[in-house]
Amino acid sequence: MGEKFKGGRCESHQLRQKLQRRAEVSTQLAWFTYKRPTTMLQAIDLTKRYTPERRTANAEPALDKLTLTVQPGEIFCLLGQNGAGKTTTINLFLGFLKPTAGQALVGGLNVAEYPQESKKFLAYLPETVMLYPNLSGLENLDFFAQLAGFRHSADQLHTLLTRAGLQSEAHMGRVSTYSKGMRQKVGIAIALAKQAKALLLDEPTSGLDPKAANEFSDILRTLSADGAAILMTTHDIFRAKEIGTRIGIMREGKLVETLAADELTANELEAIYLQTV
Amino acid sequence: MIRRLIAQNEFTQTRRDRRFVVAGGVVLLLLLVATWTGFRNYQSLADKRAQANQTARAAWLGQPEKNPHSAAHYGTFAFRPKSDLSFLDFGLDTYTGVSVYLEGHRQNDAKFSAAEDATVLIRFGEMTVAFVLQLLIPLLIIFLCFSTFTREREENTLKLVLSQGVSVADLYWGKVRGMSQLVALVVGPALLLAGGLLFAQTGFSATADTLLRLGLFVLIYALYFFLFIAGSVFVSARSESSRSSLLTLLSIWIVACVVLPKATANLGESLFSVPSNYAFKRLIHEDEEKGIDGHNPSNARAKELEKKVLAQYGVDSVSQLPVNFDGIVMQEGEKYTSMVYQKHFRALQEQFQRQNSLATVVGFVNPYLAVRNLSMGLSGSDYAHFLDFKGKAEQYRFGLVERLNNQMKTFSKTGDWEKKVSREFWAKTPDFAYQLPSVGWALRQHALSGLALLLFGGVLLWGIGRSLSNSTLLPAA
Repeated sequence: MGEKFKGGRCESHQLRQKLQRRAEVSTQLAWFTYKRPTTMLQAIDLTKRYTPERRTANAEPALDKLTLTVQPGEIFCLLGQNGAGKTTTINLFLGFLKPTAGQALVGGLNVAEYPQESKKFLAYLPETVMLYPNLSGLENLDFFAQLAGFRHSADQLHTLLTRAGLQSEAHMGRVSTYSKGMRQKVGIAIALAKQAKALLLDEPTSGLDPKAANEFSDILRTLSADGAAILMTTHDIFRAKEIGTRIGIMREGKLVETLAADELTANELEAIYLQTV
Repeated sequence: MIRRLIAQNEFTQTRRDRRFVVAGGVVLLLLLVATWTGFRNYQSLADKRAQANQTARAAWLGQPEKNPHSAAHYGTFAFRPKSDLSFLDFGLDTYTGVSVYLEGHRQNDAKFSAAEDATVLIRFGEMTVAFVLQLLIPLLIIFLCFSTFTREREENTLKLVLSQGVSVADLYWGKVRGMSQLVALVVGPALLLAGGLLFAQTGFSATADTLLRLGLFVLIYALYFFLFIAGSVFVSARSESSRSSLLTLLSIWIVACVVLPKATANLGESLFSVPSNYAFKRLIHEDEEKGIDGHNPSNARAKELEKKVLAQYGVDSVSQLPVNFDGIVMQEGEKYTSMVYQKHFRALQEQFQRQNSLATVVGFVNPYLAVRNLSMGLSGSDYAHFLDFKGKAEQYRFGLVERLNNQMKTFSKTGDWEKKVSREFWAKTPDFAYQLPSVGWALRQHALSGLALLLFGGVLLWGIGRSLSNSTLLPAA
């Protein structure tokens, strides 16, 4: 940049810009050395074997040496039959399960070692978002945001719910009156409230009506464009193709195929899926 | 901060639950009714006994001129005053005697317990504040707490909570705190009523001792509830389902609050049996007649005394004595029978104490028993306070009879049974004024129960902390 501005009229302006840049770079560098991960979500030889009495006569591990990475801005969709190890993967990233071998890293932190710290980056959206039925959507959001250490004003909370797609009449209603899709939206607002860098979604669109599922996909794309790394399990091949950047197919605890979503059509993907599983 | 947030959430949620409103309301109502009726009961009893004491004194003062020893046979009554806090915990007051007949030659047992006047229904327990606090509030706590964790697990909110980066310890203690606030919401108003009534009763000038007793009373129950809450929330955290959590907690309640106390009482009774009333009186009579060691019969003792007194005054026969020998004989007899009574009563009381101490020992594993003891002790309605009253009444009786005997000895000659003391003499004998022992004394009586409660609490909390430190709260699969 020095060449470009040499001899320019506003030297003081240039200097100011230069200093500002340098400051920015140095903070970025500091942040980089401090915690900036190369990848948001990373599994390295991640293996989980349930104790024999829980999975009788099944010596096969539920998850076998899974290695995958999800970069910021990526949506990684995991496909596979029930019992292929998709949910186990999510639970390992959340630290709800202890890995038998290997590592799950979130933001560069080993989840098993830093169960609390690693969750700062994470937001989790289960198949059915369950909230406290006696509280309103807004109160639920406020509670979960504060749990993660974020205090928002009432206005901000309303804005978050609206951004997540919840119509404003419903904000103050008790969650016991909410539909599944509405609870899902509160779940997204919770993720928005903590400014999550990584999202773990466990079959989030199953049971949603097409319109709600479509809205949900739109929101995911926005989050992804804002730089979130998203790992999502699903049974919906077409939706996976539509919103995923990469698609992994799992079978019996192994990641057997990883594909770029934009290189194939939904029908091709389905054919591959059916061959694989 | 996080704990406060979780506590607040728990508090808000439960308060909006209609089941809590109903259950909490019922318990609060019971507590208020128990406080009010307990207080009315206490007030009328306290008044009646104060009146009875005055009447007894008036009867004593109104005696005509008579021989002092006749007055000793006439006797008087000591009525046990109610302690200020006894309306919170009736303790043994209903079953222990209310008054002691004080007369020469013998120690009488305290008679006329309130239970004697009541119907058989009293056997099923009274609705007292202590009953609600010791048994019903723990039940309410169980219903509040049994599902704090299991419901969140069953409804899957727990995963969402934990995914927000909350530590297990914060979640647990936050919940314990929230539940404590809810229990305080139920117990608080009744406590305020009790305090208000107490102050109104004493004309807003309660003694420091009463205040201290009330303060400790509150503290003991606060600790009791806290342990119940911590334990219940922990069971919920460790249970697979709400059903099993409730079942576990109810079983614990039944064992701790019903089975174990009954079993302890029955075991105590059969281990440390007491003689029947008839056998007890016969033993005393025998000791009086034959001497405490069986080798010193009463007529031999009398001869010896005569020899001693004659030698003391340097005379040859009783009629030459300058004092009334009958007075001396009766006072010596009084001393001897007192000794006999004391020996037998002490043995009996020790046996009762042994029965009670079994409950104290079991209190190390059952906080209900420890709290029951401490609560009675602080309310002044336990066995120790009863014994203290009996002891002081006996002391007064002995002093009174001694005074009468000495009067007899000095103011008349031997054999002169006709000489009477004037009516002013009755007024010179002091009145019986019972003073409740201090709170420090009460605590010393129950130091072991206090230690038991603290030790149990310490071990429980330590165990919970240890168990939580390596738990994810989620099922393994």
